[in-house]
Amino acid sequence: MPSDLSVRAPALPVLRLPGLDALARLLRQVGPAALLFLTILVVWEGVTRAGFVSPLILPAPSDVAATFVAAAPRLFTHLGWTSMAALGGFVLGNTMGFALAVVFVHLRLGRLTALPLAMMAQAVPIVAVAPALLLWLGNGVEPKLFIASFLVFFPMLVNAMRGLSSADDQVAELLHTLSADWKQRLLMVRLPAALPFVFNALRLSACGCFVASVVAEWVASTTGLGYVIVFASSQYRMTEVWCAVLLCTAASLCVYGLVCLAERLAMPWRRERPATA
Amino acid sequence: MARLQDTPPRGGIDIRDLSMTYRRGREVTQALSACSLTIPEGGWASLIGASGCGKSTLLRILADIVQPSGGSAMLSGMTPAEARATRGFALVSQQSVLLPWRRMLENVELGLEVARADKAERRKRAEEAIELVGLRGFERAYPHELSGGMRQRAAIARALTLRPRFLLMDEPFGALDELTRASLNFELLRILEETSATLLLVTHSIAEAIILSDVVAVMSPRPGRIVHQLEIGFGHHRTDAMRDDPAFAAYEAELRHALHGDPGVTRQPIRQPAFA
Ligand SMILES: Nc1ncnc2c1ncn2[C@@H]1O[C@H](COP(=O)(O)OP(=O)(O)OP(=O)(O)O)[C@@H](O)[C@H]1O
Ligand SMILES: [Mg+2]
Repeated sequence: MPSDLSVRAPALPVLRLPGLDALARLLRQVGPAALLFLTILVVWEGVTRAGFVSPLILPAPSDVAATFVAAAPRLFTHLGWTSMAALGGFVLGNTMGFALAVVFVHLRLGRLTALPLAMMAQAVPIVAVAPALLLWLGNGVEPKLFIASFLVFFPMLVNAMRGLSSADDQVAELLHTLSADWKQRLLMVRLPAALPFVFNALRLSACGCFVASVVAEWVASTTGLGYVIVFASSQYRMTEVWCAVLLCTAASLCVYGLVCLAERLAMPWRRERPATA
Repeated sequence: MARLQDTPPRGGIDIRDLSMTYRRGREVTQALSACSLTIPEGGWASLIGASGCGKSTLLRILADIVQPSGGSAMLSGMTPAEARATRGFALVSQQSVLLPWRRMLENVELGLEVARADKAERRKRAEEAIELVGLRGFERAYPHELSGGMRQRAAIARALTLRPRFLLMDEPFGALDELTRASLNFELLRILEETSATLLLVTHSIAEAIILSDVVAVMSPRPGRIVHQLEIGFGHHRTDAMRDDPAFAAYEAELRHALHGDPGVTRQPIRQPAFA
C-alpha cells in the first residue's frame, strides 16, 4: 500500500528495537502451537520412560532422536527417493490438471466427453490397484510418480476449473464490451481469478503427494521412506519407523510452507486482510 | 458542434420499437416495449425514469450485452455487435466493475490494453484520464483500497481512455458527493465537446439530466418506453450558473411532472412523527 494513502498518527516517544518487535510478533504467532508441541513431547517422553507403554508400541522421543542421528545418512538417501517421486508427481499432476482445466473451460466438447471419464477415474482406489501398476511399470520410480501425479491431478483439475470460471458476470460483461478475445480473457481475468483456487489445490496436494509416494513404496520398492517403514517394522525397529514417519512429515510440511509463501507472493492484492481477533 | 436541430437523425443512436422480454423459467418480465429514441451524432441525451423501468436494459442492448426481443437499435448505422467489434462505444455500467487483482492505474489501462494500444500511449492516456477524474496519487491502490466513489471515477476514467464515439453511462456519478459530481459533470461536457462524442446517460437526478443534455428522455414505468422528450436549450457551453437560470427551474418542473404525473408538488404531505 502506498504510504500516501494512510495518514500516520504522530509517533509516541517509545524506545523501539525493531529486532525485538519482530521476535515478539513471531512468538505471538507460533508460540501457542510450539508450546503445545513441546508439552506433547514432554508427556510422551514421560509416559514411555515411566514404562506405561511398551517401546514396541511407542518408543520414547529421545530414543527416536538417537536412532535418527545414527541412521541419518541412510534416512536422508531414502528421503531423497521419496521426495523425488513426490515432487515429480506434484509438478506433473498439477501441471496436467491445470492444463486440462484450461482446455475444459474453453472446449464444451472436451467438457462433455472427457470430464465424466476423468471424474470416474478419480473414484478408482488407486492404492488398491497399486500392485497391478507395479506389474506394468516395474518397481522403479515410475509407479510412484504415476500414483503421486494421479492423486494430485484431480483436486487441481476440479479446483482450477472452478477458479477459471469464478470471475463474476459483470467482469465477463466488461471484457465482452471491450471486445476482448479468449486469450485476453484467459490472461487478464481467468488466470488471476483462478489463483486462490489453484493454491487451495496445491496446498492439498503438498501433503498428498508424499502420502502417495510412501504408499507406493510400501507396496513394492527397495528405496524410499515407505520401504524403510515396512522393512524396519518387520524387524520391530520401531524407533526407525518413527524416524521415517517424522522425516516424511517434515518434508511435506516444508513443501506446504513453500506453497503458502508462493501464494502470498503471487497474490499481493489479497495480502492486506482485516485482522481477525 | 453538432446540434440537435440541424443534424439529420441518422448518424447517432437510433432506437426503433425496441422491446425486451426477460424469461427465467416460467417467469416473464417485459422490461421494454415499443421504445423509440434517436440521438443525433454528437448529441447529449439523458434517460430518466423510475427504478426498474428498463433504463439499464436499454443501455445493455446498445452495448451488445443482451439481445432485444424485437425492434432495432443502431449506432451510426451499425448494429451493437458491429459497433462493439469496431470499439465504437464505451459503457460505464451501473456497478463500477474493476478487476480486484489490478492496481487502479492498471484497471484504467485495461480498455486500451485489450485494444492493443502501445504501452506508452496507454500510460499517457490513462494518466490524463486519472488526472481528470481527480484520482492522482491513488494509481497504485487496489480496488478494495478505494472508496465507492473513487471506484466509480476509475471506471469512468477507463471509459474515457478509449475516446469512444458513443459514451453509454449508467448512473456513473451515483456514489459521488455534490461537489465532485458537479465538477465531473463539467469535465465530462468538456471531453464530449473535444471528442464530439455522443452521450447517452442514465441518471436519477433531474438536475444532472438537464445540465448534461440536449434532450432529456423520460421513460414510463415497466415496460419502459419513452413517454416524454424535453429539449434543453442551453447550447453546448455550459456553466454552473445555468442552475440559477429561470429556464432551469421550468425544465425541472416539467420533467418532474412528466416523471410523477403531477405539477411538481410533493404528492404526499410530510408526515408528522407519530410520537410527537
Ligand atoms: N437478467 C435479467 N433477468 C430477468 N429480469 C431482468 C434482468 N435484468 C433486468 N431484469 C428486469 O427488467 C426490469 C428492468 O431492469 P433494468 O435494470 O433495466 O431497470 P433500471 O431502469 O435500470 O432500474 P434502476 O434505475 O433501478 O437501475 C426489472 O424489472 C428487472 O427485474
Ligand atoms: Mg439500472
